[in-house]
Amino acid sequence: MAEATPIIEMRNIKKSFGGVQALRGVDLVLHHNEVLGLVGDNAAGKSTLMKILSGAYIPNEGEIFIEGKKAHIINPWDARRQGIEMVYQDLALANNLDVAANVFMGREAVSVKLGPISILDEHHMGQETQRLLDRLKIDISSVRLKVESLSGGQRQAVAIARATAFNTKVTIMDEPTAALSVVGIGKVLDLVRELKAQGCSIIIISHRLEDIYQVSDRMMVLRHGRKVCDTPVAGDIDDFRERVVAYIIGARDDFAEGVSEQPNNEHEEVQHIVH
Amino acid sequence: MSNQIMSTRRFNISFIKDVKKILRQNIREWGMYIALLVIMAIFTITTKGVFISSRNIGNLINQTGYIAVLAVGMTLVIIIRHIDLSVGFLAGFLGAVAAISMVSWHLPVYASIPLVLGLGVLAGLVTGFLVAQMKIPAFVATLAGWLGYRGALQLATMSKGTIVITNAAFNAIGNGYVPDIPDIGILPGVHKLTLILGVLVILLFIINAINNRRKMRAYNFKVLPMYLFIIELVFVSALVGGITWVLAGYKGLSWTAVVVLIVVLFYNFIMSRTVLGRHIHAVGGNPEAAELSGISIKKITYVVFGSMGMLSALSGILFTSRFKSATTTAGTLFELDAIAAAFVGGASASGGVGKVTGSIIGAFVMMSLTSGMNLMGIDISYQYIVRALVLVAAVVFDVATRNREKE
Repeated sequence: MAEATPIIEMRNIKKSFGGVQALRGVDLVLHHNEVLGLVGDNAAGKSTLMKILSGAYIPNEGEIFIEGKKAHIINPWDARRQGIEMVYQDLALANNLDVAANVFMGREAVSVKLGPISILDEHHMGQETQRLLDRLKIDISSVRLKVESLSGGQRQAVAIARATAFNTKVTIMDEPTAALSVVGIGKVLDLVRELKAQGCSIIIISHRLEDIYQVSDRMMVLRHGRKVCDTPVAGDIDDFRERVVAYIIGARDDFAEGVSEQPNNEHEEVQHIVH
Repeated sequence: MSNQIMSTRRFNISFIKDVKKILRQNIREWGMYIALLVIMAIFTITTKGVFISSRNIGNLINQTGYIAVLAVGMTLVIIIRHIDLSVGFLAGFLGAVAAISMVSWHLPVYASIPLVLGLGVLAGLVTGFLVAQMKIPAFVATLAGWLGYRGALQLATMSKGTIVITNAAFNAIGNGYVPDIPDIGILPGVHKLTLILGVLVILLFIINAINNRRKMRAYNFKVLPMYLFIIELVFVSALVGGITWVLAGYKGLSWTAVVVLIVVLFYNFIMSRTVLGRHIHAVGGNPEAAELSGISIKKITYVVFGSMGMLSALSGILFTSRFKSATTTAGTLFELDAIAAAFVGGASASGGVGKVTGSIIGAFVMMSLTSGMNLMGIDISYQYIVRALVLVAAVVFDVATRNREKE
């Protein structure tokens, strides 16, 4: 039964910036070992929703539950401590540092502590990083390479590896395949599959529907700050794309007011919106 | 026979290829060493050897001292993408405070120096507050400091003009030399303690380099081919040995050099081996990423400017001690020499990159230019122009090598 409790549940999340309502009461459920794709047009509210989950924004209204327990997330550091990691679109890596230093950024291993001076345990960090890269089958010749000398795909892999390294419950990826070569995209998608195989729970934001189709179990569409679709990923790709685009541009809407009588199994969530 | 020729030729080609490749990869790191050697060689020739004489090199090191400690602090400031224009007059002002505390308040040296260093930290924290808390661009905040400390220096020296310091212990910091071990009959007239220290430094360097090489290899990291590694070791050892020999021929190691060495070793250790140093690099490399990783940019900004303030105080002490007096113009243009030294030493204007050891080499480049051109009797106006050209060349070099690396 414990499996049935979602690892993340966000209820009726509302957020506005000045006069603009970015989120108008969105619900989100993520189950254990599930990959959820999050799609929508620009300004649909995907990134805002994920920034709320990762602590970068505080919602105006709404609740977040982690493994059934109500959570208060006040900043990114706090979210991290509760097991939520976000891989940012603009790559939260320091190019001037090596791979190991980036993986351990902000939580460096210490060998000796002399008052305010903590000496780095480079050996431990190097070994752990190597182990992590091996486990995720990431191909980088040395953990001592500076990030600036890596390819785009390798950097994204390091960013993702870093996010999943420390007892992470949920990894959020914001456009992980944007600005990558075809080879790079393939590698990142392989990495997502590998993470899923190892039991991770993942939310992916992407403009590339074929990426979502390839790796996600379920998909959610946002439009103008509302959820308009929440459905398992199935069928063939062309069919899938056509359907999703219809939701994105607003031609279809499963959660519109007045259509709640339509047969779907999301009654509960619809009620949340109505409240 | 022909086989042998072929193989030596092949060896030669691969050797040259290796050297070219290694040079290209490390040009940024080695560029400043090459620049320093070239500058020193030119001045040695144009001054018919006076420049490289023990006496001049000894003086050069003492002159570089008060710029070098500033350059170390400035490197940290530049790494976190800020700048500090106030350090010159802060050093001048705090030097005057040191003089007044001994001359007028009759404080002993051992109380005066900690007092001045403490005031330096305080001044640095004020800058840190303006930059980190009030979000004022460092350029503006420290320009205000430049004006304010200049005024304070003039106020402090207003009544007397020049405050002469008679305390021998204080004056020894900028003028004295480490006493030698007693004469045991060998090498008369040579400072033996300096030689021993020089040999120790070379040994430490070699052991450290071999250890590092082994570690990097364990991480699959590409290291220099063996013969190039040996060439590097020999080169650095010869350089250190040469400087040691030249110094030992005069009065040996000065107290200023000891102070600079301690500062360099300490800061180098902090920047390369500790969590604090790692965080400073992270903030410089990607502030947003650092903040998201739980590193407090505010704290790092305070620490870096606080240390800059303390090093400004140290610079003021070295300078005041060297001239045995505090003057109304002390510290003028120190900030520009320190900033130039940091950039010549490989710090990058775009942040995140810079080495303590590099900034020291940069300081020597800038001060060698001054010293050499003075020896040659070049007019001060041309001196400024030459130093400007060297600074521009250093930054152009940095940008050019960086862009090429990205390709």
